[in-house]
Amino acid sequence: MASKERTQEIFKALYDAVVAYDEKASAELSQTALEEGIEAYDAVMNGLSAGMEKVGQLYASHEYFVPQLLLCADALYAGLEILKPHIKRHEEEAKLKIVLGTVEGDIHDIGKNLVKIMFDAAGWTVYDLGRDVKIERFAEEQERTASDVVALSALMTTSMLAMPTIVKMVKAVNPGVAVMVGGAPLTPEIAKQYGADGYASNAGEAVRETVSVIASMKGTQAK
Amino acid sequence: MERVNSMLLRQPVDRVPLYHFMFGFCARNVGYPIADIYKDPEKSFMAQLWTFEQYGIDGGPDFGYASYGGWEFGADIEFPSSEWEQAPSHGSFAVQSEEDLGRLTLPDVKRAGMLPLALEFSRLQDKFGKPISIVLGGGFTIAGNICPVEKLCRWMIKKPELAHQLLRLATDHILEVVQYWADTFGAARVIPNIWEPLASNDIISPQQFELFVLPYLKQSSQKILGLGVKHIYYHICGEQNLNLPYWAQVPMGNPGIVSFGHQVDLTGAIKYFGDRCIIVGNIDPTVIHNGTPRQVYELCRQCIEQAKYAPRGYMLMSGCEVPPMSPPYNVYMMKKAINDFGWYG
Repeated sequence: MASKERTQEIFKALYDAVVAYDEKASAELSQTALEEGIEAYDAVMNGLSAGMEKVGQLYASHEYFVPQLLLCADALYAGLEILKPHIKRHEEEAKLKIVLGTVEGDIHDIGKNLVKIMFDAAGWTVYDLGRDVKIERFAEEQERTASDVVALSALMTTSMLAMPTIVKMVKAVNPGVAVMVGGAPLTPEIAKQYGADGYASNAGEAVRETVSVIASMKGTQAK
Repeated sequence: MERVNSMLLRQPVDRVPLYHFMFGFCARNVGYPIADIYKDPEKSFMAQLWTFEQYGIDGGPDFGYASYGGWEFGADIEFPSSEWEQAPSHGSFAVQSEEDLGRLTLPDVKRAGMLPLALEFSRLQDKFGKPISIVLGGGFTIAGNICPVEKLCRWMIKKPELAHQLLRLATDHILEVVQYWADTFGAARVIPNIWEPLASNDIISPQQFELFVLPYLKQSSQKILGLGVKHIYYHICGEQNLNLPYWAQVPMGNPGIVSFGHQVDLTGAIKYFGDRCIIVGNIDPTVIHNGTPRQVYELCRQCIEQAKYAPRGYMLMSGCEVPPMSPPYNVYMMKKAINDFGWYG
């Protein structure tokens, strides 16, 4: 069992490996964490996820751009691949769940893929429907997976028009599900007009915005 | 069109011209499926011509789309077919691996992808006395349509030599296409229309732009102008503010023409390009699509007042394609704003 100091040292090294997009170091440190008896879940959340949260901030502040973010994600996944099988079942089951996809008619999925990375990094269970997703699939997948959130992405204004229909479909099945929207032509005003619960302007802010929306919805429901 | 020609000849114009990339909107306006604007040159040309007359648009028509490059280098293209689709998109990518890249060769510009359709369209431009434009991606955008953008991004950091190999091919392709158009119509009549959305800071950093985009843009521009082309139209789409100092190093002709997305402030654009380029832009398409007529009108007023006296001239335009489902009255607001604020003298 690693000492408290050693555990913190490994968390920090995992964090640094992700931020420095060092895939090899991330994998090696994840293996070391397991060998030294550190809980896989803690290594993910305090090392890899914390690193990716920093990457999200660097991306949002235009210090990192998509190429760096993608390589940081590669480092994240290299560590996750090793640690994930060792996460205890109750910890896995407690994770928040999100269904996401780029809406029908739109093949531009880079934004959606970045959002997926950030939710993976934050420890969510992500059901990625891909791109050009038929409108009815979102509600179906939400129901099948009992996800907490449905997130819709679009780059094209024409495809964006599918969003209000999708929001209605999701809400008809489960009114308590939070629906988030994003993509270049979206704005907070359009999100509201479409009946969505929230909007994020970029992948770096998507998780924080979503958590805030869920908290707000729970607060409203409790009243 | 006379106004645009006058500006290119550096002669005075009576008012700010109205310019547009307006494809799906024109198809819908005359009752065609959106796909026809991209795959039927005659319908595309006439739909734009009629709609431009209706809305008082001075520029165009043009023929093209942002996914240019994939089909031409051997992948599939899918034309819009559902109510939610706006433009052609690639069904696959020609390059998915290093091995694919190793096998990639320059396509035959007489046969590849949309180029035969574009040539037919340009023959109509010729017949109707319009400028001969050929819409192409910039080297980086073409590269990002030949292989997935994510792969190109990873190569830029981990295997830059592969990114450069792909960019070299994309740039050579641009030059071959422009050479073909120059041979067919005469270089002085051809205005290459080069769109570079993927090189925006939405994707890459300004440092990456300097290393992976600028050298190819400079080289292709110099060679295109060396053919006898007088003006190059660059559409600098998306968030490009941090790239502007680099874009300013790219020769665009005398004058060049440069249009911007709504993310770029026109005062900054004039600072970097105003002394040698016609400035074009940049009404937020989302506002045209989703805003009120008053919002569109007000945005147009602001743009006109900001850029009307740019040294080499200014044309009002949407920041990118006019969304096909835009309310027609919003589109009309652009003309109305020009009538109210765009006159000189």
